[in-house]
Amino acid sequence: MTRRIELGLLYSRSGSYSLISEACRSGALAAIAKVNADPSLDVAFVPVERDPGGNADAYAPLCEEILRETGARHVLGCVTSWSRKEVIPTLEKHGGTLWYAVPYEGFEASDHVVYTHACPNQHLLPLLDWAMPAHGRRAYLVGSNYIWGWEMNRLAREQVTAAGGEVLGDRYLPIGSRDVGRMIEELRFARPDFILNSLIGPSSYEFMAAYRALGLEDVHFLPDNCPVLSCNLTECELPALGQAAEGLVAAGPYFRGVPGLGNFGSSHEAAAFSAVLELARLLSGREGAEALPLAQLLAGDPGRGIVDPETHHTVLPVIIARVQGDAFQPIKRLEAVAGDPYLARSKHVPVPMLRVVS
Amino acid sequence: MKRRPIRIPNLGGAQAIILHRPHPTVQALTRQLTAIGLAVTQAWPELGPEALAADYIFFDADMSHDGMFPWEAGQPPIPMVALIGSEAPGRIEWSLKAGSHAQLLKPVGDNGAYSALLIARDAFDAQKALSAEIADLRRRLDDRQTLVRAVTLLAARGKSDADAYAQLRQMAMAWRISMEDAAARIVASHGGGDDRHQRG
Repeated sequence: MTRRIELGLLYSRSGSYSLISEACRSGALAAIAKVNADPSLDVAFVPVERDPGGNADAYAPLCEEILRETGARHVLGCVTSWSRKEVIPTLEKHGGTLWYAVPYEGFEASDHVVYTHACPNQHLLPLLDWAMPAHGRRAYLVGSNYIWGWEMNRLAREQVTAAGGEVLGDRYLPIGSRDVGRMIEELRFARPDFILNSLIGPSSYEFMAAYRALGLEDVHFLPDNCPVLSCNLTECELPALGQAAEGLVAAGPYFRGVPGLGNFGSSHEAAAFSAVLELARLLSGREGAEALPLAQLLAGDPGRGIVDPETHHTVLPVIIARVQGDAFQPIKRLEAVAGDPYLARSKHVPVPMLRVVS
Repeated sequence: MKRRPIRIPNLGGAQAIILHRPHPTVQALTRQLTAIGLAVTQAWPELGPEALAADYIFFDADMSHDGMFPWEAGQPPIPMVALIGSEAPGRIEWSLKAGSHAQLLKPVGDNGAYSALLIARDAFDAQKALSAEIADLRRRLDDRQTLVRAVTLLAARGKSDADAYAQLRQMAMAWRISMEDAAARIVASHGGGDDRHQRG
């Protein structure tokens, strides 16, 4: 007998990062359809949706509503780290689990969250390892004013400095702001070797458009000379970027057309899809498992899953790709690597700084 | 004084010991520390000598006392994090005296361990650096008398105080030692006991 199991979806269908939400959501819905049509599984998912509308403060109450008013114990959702951190206390209170399908800045391993997209040892560090030898070690950092932008740029500064490079500046914009003028003016004078862009949504679209215009004015800023790097832009935002995406270099676990990784619109879609499939595998054939907290669900897994029981992160391929003619073209593919949220397990442990007694 | 930048410790494979009776708090903390990448052991009712080889100690601030640690009370050689349940002033006072560098409130849940590790490491390093600086300043303060005696001895050969002082400085530079050590040599060579040998 097939068990019908409610599954929460907590994605913002409007607001500044709705393209990413929609990509995650369509990956989740595609996976739900696949699970429900699979006769080898004894579970079927019934989606229970709530839409926070891009408002960070709406996530926790809506997550609570899913966990209190429906039978769902598992929720797919959240795009920003801000919203993820908002829902964790609610998950803890109700014994719920969040499946998070977006790249993030690391330094978290909640007992109530599964991280199916990349963390810095799977995106930023390999991207910098590629960029510095290829373009130089003088970086300029831009980001959105919240934990993603701040922590990505802190980590980038640490890596660039450790490699003997230099950070010529870092600038931040509030989420949703299009006020990129000052960044562009500073870039004009700083003339870095590359730019790390950790802006999200409209800020990023505006920055990329203004940077393209700068490149038309001064060849130093053409993508071949001084590329923009990103760990969060994927195919799902290419329509919003248009021509301005040309030459953008991004790191991620999936890009459309890379052989052997399935057929998804973007890595967001792929990460949400694999989250739903993994949950179905964990629940199938285990009556009542849908009520278990994540730790017990993983501990009782008779098979081998994709979720590391210690960190709740996943093993993912690392691909670096450049936008050429409206599509990402891979330029480097590294072996799949386990998510290392605290950078404590991989070779990228930062070299301890010499302590200065001042 | 400008704040020095935080040193992010290499936590992969670091050893943590939790001094606490078996309890869900120990489980929750062990989960967090293991996720971060530390190797964790639990101890109760006291820390063995193996604690000296650990990198971090988490201790129960509710039930612990001085006798549980293999070092002099209040002199931990490694960073210590207090696990505080009862926020009674007497217990807070004791955990500060025991030398805690950071704290986590019980019940320990899903998070908090990483910031406690970083804050404890930073406070421990800062304390160590300050102690070393204070010891050095104190030594130099104590050596003032030797310095005065050396200048007086050099001046006794008919130099002004200022010239004698300049000569002492030049000798220290030539010998590649500190002014204080040069002064001690001069005092010793003139048969005067070096004050510093009497110090403990």
